[in-house]
Amino acid sequence: METQNRLWRVLLLALPILVFSVLVIWPLLSSFYYSFTNWNGFNRDYEFLGLRNFAKIWTDRLFFDAIVNTTIWMVAALVLPTLTGLFLALLLDRQVRGARIFKTVFYLPICLSAIVVGQIWIWIYQPDWGLLNTIVKLAGNPDFNYAWLARPDSALFAVIVAWSWQQTGLSMVIYLAGLTSIPSEMLEVCEIEGATAWQRIWRVVIPLLTPSTVVVVALSMINSLKGFDILYIMTGGGPFNSSDTLAMHMYNESFKKYLMGYGSAISVVLFLIALTIIGVYFRQLRKVDEIYG
Amino acid sequence: MTSILRRGFLGTAITAPLVTAATLAFADGHEVTISHYFTGELGLKAFQEQIDRFEAATDYALKDSPVGHEDFKTDILVRASGNSLPDVFSYWAGARVQFIVDSNALHPIDDMWDNAGLDSVVAKSVADSATMYNGNRYLVPFNYHYSGVFYNKAVFADAGIDELPTDWEGFVALCEELNAKGVTPIALGSMNRWPAQFWFDYLLLRTAGPDYRARLMAGDASYDDPEVHTAMGMWKDLVDAGHFAENANADSWTDASDKVARGDAAMTLMGTWITGYWNGLGLVPGEDYDFFPFPSISEGVAEASVGPVDGLVMAANAANVDGAKAFLEYMVSNPDVQAAWSKAQGALSANVNVDPSNYNSVMLKAFETVAASEVFAFNYDLATPPPVAEVGLSMFSRFMDDPSKLDEILAQVATDASAAFEQ
Repeated sequence: METQNRLWRVLLLALPILVFSVLVIWPLLSSFYYSFTNWNGFNRDYEFLGLRNFAKIWTDRLFFDAIVNTTIWMVAALVLPTLTGLFLALLLDRQVRGARIFKTVFYLPICLSAIVVGQIWIWIYQPDWGLLNTIVKLAGNPDFNYAWLARPDSALFAVIVAWSWQQTGLSMVIYLAGLTSIPSEMLEVCEIEGATAWQRIWRVVIPLLTPSTVVVVALSMINSLKGFDILYIMTGGGPFNSSDTLAMHMYNESFKKYLMGYGSAISVVLFLIALTIIGVYFRQLRKVDEIYG
Repeated sequence: MTSILRRGFLGTAITAPLVTAATLAFADGHEVTISHYFTGELGLKAFQEQIDRFEAATDYALKDSPVGHEDFKTDILVRASGNSLPDVFSYWAGARVQFIVDSNALHPIDDMWDNAGLDSVVAKSVADSATMYNGNRYLVPFNYHYSGVFYNKAVFADAGIDELPTDWEGFVALCEELNAKGVTPIALGSMNRWPAQFWFDYLLLRTAGPDYRARLMAGDASYDDPEVHTAMGMWKDLVDAGHFAENANADSWTDASDKVARGDAAMTLMGTWITGYWNGLGLVPGEDYDFFPFPSISEGVAEASVGPVDGLVMAANAANVDGAKAFLEYMVSNPDVQAAWSKAQGALSANVNVDPSNYNSVMLKAFETVAASEVFAFNYDLATPPPVAEVGLSMFSRFMDDPSKLDEILAQVATDASAAFEQ
């Protein structure tokens, strides 16, 4: 009986392991392999270049622009939804009239696909008849027609705003759940002892929300690392590569320039960066775990 | 429960290979797999009709997997990298086909071409430029397009313009006249970059000539040459004079076409596919809109027409070689297929047996313009290798964003393009 159970365990585990191997491990190893070649996607007789693709990265102007953009993207995509989510949660945690409706409304965008969100914001940013410029026009600036997504100074930030709009709902819900676990007696005591509202939030609520923050930061980080689709639909890395992140740059080099080998080398670098960030994060997480058990 | 599961596993294990074997057996003899990017509402329907004709006329069955135009560029590469290209696929003649021929991913079709006598079927100008690569035939032209200056007739009439420009001075005067009457002369939708390329193509072809352009496209000339500065400088003069609608990089080519259709702008430099788009909006060719060829600039320079050729090619490892060849031959040589297809697509047929009376007045004029041209040149992103085209296309949108940086842009592109040629 025990042997049969073990056999079933192995059999049932075999399928997910097989799927994971085929869809994750195999492509990962293939990327490592192709990063040493000049494969263009079509040719079967590619050559091995050793570390030349990696050496080329150091002379690639667009790669370093993409590193800067990726850093901006990751920091903003982590900080903005976390802060706005926390702010909304603190607002809605009180007995506000219609709080339930607001919660639903703020959460709804997370249910939409990034492509839909991207398209909605493309319309909002449209220079001639988009919502944003229409508001500016109505506010007394009738000739205003700034093209938010088509100008290199604003394209990346415009996408970050759209992204944050979508992700805020998720942070808000997690923080709202965290707020329910804070005993109201504790806050009442603080109030009796003369703590101001700001002191209560800063000294009591936010520290007690640390477990929620850990979850929010983890989810925001994972989401921002894989945030490719919304950039792809809204700017495609443009105008002229000004909103290229590493993932977009890798895509453009691989699929638009047909430099699969070089694109793989970029993906290896991206993988190592993601691995480092996640490694550091999990180390920090262990410390938090030790404190909060 | 366990026995049901086991039986399920067993059943699947036995039936799966049988189904696969049956599919393969069918695929061996009759099935021809195809992928293409003709996915517009009219195009998809019209293409299916041509497939139906082919299937009715032969023993073959086509397994069709269409992919949207922009996504196709990625999709076909993904399929090639997985060694699973369809037997036949549509592709853009020129540098893109050259790229995959050089990668040994295509099957030559010289024997089919000769046996079917396609030399007497395909227009020579198109056959010479679009079908031969490294000394062999690889592509049949399914249709081609011509790029011209399409304009709104009512807007021209309201502005009192009754003479179309034939030279650069006339064109600039036309723009000034329109501007003076409060009409934006030119709409350009360069959000996806490629619509801007026709300006560069024509300005360079009309000033430096087709030979210089061919050298630039092949990497034998530099983007920092005086020829390129001259062509781009003329473009800059037009932008600086306020002849282009604002925010070109925020508009798609359909947005720019809509501006002209609505009368918010007077004209746009675009391919003949705009006729299919405008006809779909209810505009009448010849009545609501028309076109004129890009004006001459330098005397003694051969007059070139610019446009893409949509072709059909065959994968090097096609499972059904005979079926694929039969399909290619049928699609290009059957005049009924060609007439119906070019009509639906707003395209021109490369088949000389197609009666020009099938075209509407605008398309007929395009056909005659190409026929009278000394050279037919592929547009920029089909004339230079894909890694270089990426550099150039970004140059156009960067230029439209800030033309004052032209010298800096060209110096940067010269460096980036020569690096891209070495890859």
